[in-house]
Amino acid sequence: MKYRCPVCMFPSLPYPPSNYHICPCCSTEFGNDDADFSHQQLREMWVANGANWFFGNTPEHWNPWMQLLSAGLGTYVPKTFFALRFQANASVESSGAGSAKHFETIHAKNIRVALAA
Amino acid sequence: MLKPYACVACEKVILDQDGVASLIALFNKFVLTLPKGQEIPKNAVAPREWAVFSAWDPEPGDELKEYVFCIQIFYPDKTQFGETFKNKMDVQLNKRSQVKTNIPGFPVGQSGFYTIRTWIEESNKMVAGPIEFKMEVEY
Repeated sequence: MKYRCPVCMFPSLPYPPSNYHICPCCSTEFGNDDADFSHQQLREMWVANGANWFFGNTPEHWNPWMQLLSAGLGTYVPKTFFALRFQANASVESSGAGSAKHFETIHAKNIRVALAA
Repeated sequence: MLKPYACVACEKVILDQDGVASLIALFNKFVLTLPKGQEIPKNAVAPREWAVFSAWDPEPGDELKEYVFCIQIFYPDKTQFGETFKNKMDVQLNKRSQVKTNIPGFPVGQSGFYTIRTWIEESNKMVAGPIEFKMEVEY
């Protein structure tokens, strides 16, 4: 059974987040750190310090921001840009003879599809 | 064996009650405006949900198998971003099988062309695909 850290949302804690267990991702010691600070405050501190992996080798392909986003906590992900927008060549792929190698690609170029602030 | 019919990235997929898909805002490029003189961290992620829609045509016997649709994202330098996204497929006989995978963010730590690789696994072995397409990030 895996447990999710309520601070950094690491989804693979081997123990429940209690009884002085320590999250290997954000270093929260449950029962100690969260006695003084709320989980939200601890999360803000972890993010403010760079959201780095705490214990041992960082898991392969781990990304702290995707971890938070996957848990619905996108508001904690720093926006390092002013604006972001989608742009499209409206690329659509359709089947040809039935295998991936026979895919055809149809491009309708220069169609701006959406703008996002 | 499942045969590929479509695989595309878009902002949103809406499936109606009959399973008919509407794809909102097909795109293949993110354009970012950065503050002057600021560098973007290598592990930066744009907190913007998007989706990969994929459709496959089954053959008799496919409905008895447990297929998993998989997605990997690669940076322009070919290193992998994040873990592999996996989504169980519901395969029914004589019915096109559709998979909608929502992804909560997109990596923006490098500018250039990202590769989205998709395939289908059965018992952790690739049995269809891979299908790859590119997604550009521009600063």
